[in-house]
Amino acid sequence: MDALASVYGGMMAALQPLNLVVLFMGLLVGVLAGALPGISFVNAMALSLPFTYLMSPLVAMAFLGGIYVGGVFGGSICSILLNIPGDPDSVPSCWDGYPLSKKKGSVYALSVAITASAIGGLVSALILTFAAPPFARFALSFDQPEFFAATLLGLVSVLAVCRGKLLVGLISLFTGITLGSVGADPLYGVQRLTFDVPMLENGIDFVVVMIGIFAIGEVLEACSARVGADLRVKDSARMGLLSLRDIWKLRGSISRGTGIGCIIGTIPGGGAAIGALVAYGIERQVNRQGGQFGTGVADGLAAPEASKNATTGTALIPMLTLGIPSSAGSAIMLAALVLHNVQPGPLLFTKQPELLYTIFASFLLANVFMIIVSMAVARGFGLVMKTNPTILYAFILVLSLIGAFAVRNNMADVIVCVGFGIVGYLMQRFQFPTAPLVLGVILGPLAEGYFMTSIANYGTLTVFFTRPVAAVIISVALLFVVWSLLPKRSASEGPMPQQASNG
Amino acid sequence: MRRTTFIAGMAAIFAWCSVASAQEKFPSRPIDMIVNFGPGGGADQLGRIASQLLERILSVPVPVSNIVGASGNTGLAKVASAQPDGYTVGVITGLSISSWAAGMGRLSVNDFAYLGVVQSSPSMLFVVIDSPVKNYQQLLDAAKASPGKLKVATAGFGTLDDFAVKYLAKKGFAMVNAPYAKPAERYTSILGKHTDVLFEEPGDVAQFLAAKQMRPIVVFGDKRHPEFPDVPASGEFDQHVDLPNWRALVASPNVPKDRVDALSAGIAKMTDTAEWKKFCSETYTCITKMNPADSKKFVQKNYDDAVAFLKESGGDPKK
Repeated sequence: MDALASVYGGMMAALQPLNLVVLFMGLLVGVLAGALPGISFVNAMALSLPFTYLMSPLVAMAFLGGIYVGGVFGGSICSILLNIPGDPDSVPSCWDGYPLSKKKGSVYALSVAITASAIGGLVSALILTFAAPPFARFALSFDQPEFFAATLLGLVSVLAVCRGKLLVGLISLFTGITLGSVGADPLYGVQRLTFDVPMLENGIDFVVVMIGIFAIGEVLEACSARVGADLRVKDSARMGLLSLRDIWKLRGSISRGTGIGCIIGTIPGGGAAIGALVAYGIERQVNRQGGQFGTGVADGLAAPEASKNATTGTALIPMLTLGIPSSAGSAIMLAALVLHNVQPGPLLFTKQPELLYTIFASFLLANVFMIIVSMAVARGFGLVMKTNPTILYAFILVLSLIGAFAVRNNMADVIVCVGFGIVGYLMQRFQFPTAPLVLGVILGPLAEGYFMTSIANYGTLTVFFTRPVAAVIISVALLFVVWSLLPKRSASEGPMPQQASNG
Repeated sequence: MRRTTFIAGMAAIFAWCSVASAQEKFPSRPIDMIVNFGPGGGADQLGRIASQLLERILSVPVPVSNIVGASGNTGLAKVASAQPDGYTVGVITGLSISSWAAGMGRLSVNDFAYLGVVQSSPSMLFVVIDSPVKNYQQLLDAAKASPGKLKVATAGFGTLDDFAVKYLAKKGFAMVNAPYAKPAERYTSILGKHTDVLFEEPGDVAQFLAAKQMRPIVVFGDKRHPEFPDVPASGEFDQHVDLPNWRALVASPNVPKDRVDALSAGIAKMTDTAEWKKFCSETYTCITKMNPADSKKFVQKNYDDAVAFLKESGGDPKK
């Protein structure tokens, strides 16, 4: 079947009024859930799953796809305006996004973010539409050693954030990795570092740590800052698309971010968080202004933004063509399809191409409409930010605690979350970088699981160097370590991106 | 004086409340359905279908929450320790039971009230369609010729899958257990030819079977499975190992008997619906109905089998 004709047919079906309304609703739910600290869009997707029972499979996919696309971007709104990442994927967006909004106004920062995200997302959706089968074959060439290599690349990208504060940054990172290893080990179920405390037996979830350190830490910091000190956003939080000229200036970072995101999205075991992180790390090395990253460089925001949304479309490739979900979001979409008696996999292309191409078209539309919905939500957030900070921060606190509970429906997580809030606050006070710790908790257990499984499967350490794809990624990672430790010639040393910048 | 009145009043209210709750119609509020594995897997599918159907039968919402970790034991611990009021129901699978047999976690068969075993699926080995291994005999020959070379993708150590691999090794067919906790990675590994054989239930790979990407080569058990008449049973190769993965719905052990019966009756009705019949036949998991007493016996027997089997296949699952 002619691909263009199929896409046209899909587009016509996707433009049905009901489908459009549902798509908008999904985007709205996604952007809001993403933007609210504590409430993750993955949670929103899981909660929305029962609503899709009564929809046709197509409308259900438009709804969930909307939440997915909107949610992956939504987290950045909070990162940029409040320096609190709305989702783990949006951690790197804080580093230059928040300073940029201080420096050049939140309108500009939000506009950079939405433009980069929309471009990344669109390119990714186009790849999904026109190049899914070859990308699916690419995804199949990855096994555990390659997953480990990719995660390792994410871990060393943290070095980019530690520049100028390498020692404390590494302490923070390894503390995070250690915290991530608490609980049952991934292969044998042996309890580690639990000290027979039942609360610790299920491990420490990274989302809980993230909410604690960033959101609650920020609230505590605000409480102890001088009353009313620089908390309100001065200008409105409007956003718009950048002019073509501004986009041209950011072409390098946006295209690099998009490329990295598209590739990482395809890999089962990748995901938006690793995509954004690797894009930030690489951009910092490649960019001419790399030395000033962390002070509010537009490129430093554009790269992770583009990468993060570029994972969304390609993440659906293994899900739709192979029936293998590569991220939490696409796993929920797979569950929705199965509930509707649609079996994703190669048969979908031959048996239900209309459905497939309508899903593709809905995804393309989602990335375009995301711009409109995000503008509306950001404007709403602008209003919220004009409220009295005491009220605003009280809301953030409540949302954070609900979010911590919702991760695993577990009260112990709420206590852990508050604990990490205090830790985060103290770390900020003593100028300890907090981001490496959170990234350690996120990536450490992933890396460990992949490493252990690789060894169990292949029985030797050399497997990381004898398998070509793994060897290439590991070499990139090693190169990256050397490269980031070398002093930069021209650019001056930028200060480390700080979570606490209102003190 | 005042305080006494107050206490008396409180006591009266309390007493009234407890009487009221004792007489409360069951179920009269939402029932939590705890699924002990992540979205998309077999346990999740059961939880979500059951939630949909039970909602209609019991006339209360049955929201699903996935509480994952430790071979499903995290979610199960939550069910076992829930308020014994019948408003928390969980999914339990043969996989978790075998993890207990292998020494994981602290739960035991007596920690649950069994509402009904509703699914049971045979365990099979699959190869990719163009695999050099054409049939089970060839697989055994290859494993015998070069021990420890072929890789079997499984759900991890301490699972039914692990027992089967150990059993085969003991019979002289040593293969590497490649443990993939996430189904997505397990299927990637077999389709991407990173592993040679996949240990799985047919229902979980139905789409790959339909798309002619994978092929079953053996079913573990003494008899062939009616849905796969051409696939030999392991019994034909003198390997007597029966490893069904079953799924059941459970509640906390101290739930009053009348509530267990009410839930169990609802589940029995559920398995009579057309939707359920379609679901179980598509996943190759239909079984005859079991009441709470039969279910418990069934689970206990499975646990004992797993322990015995584990001993027979050579001990330490953590090796």
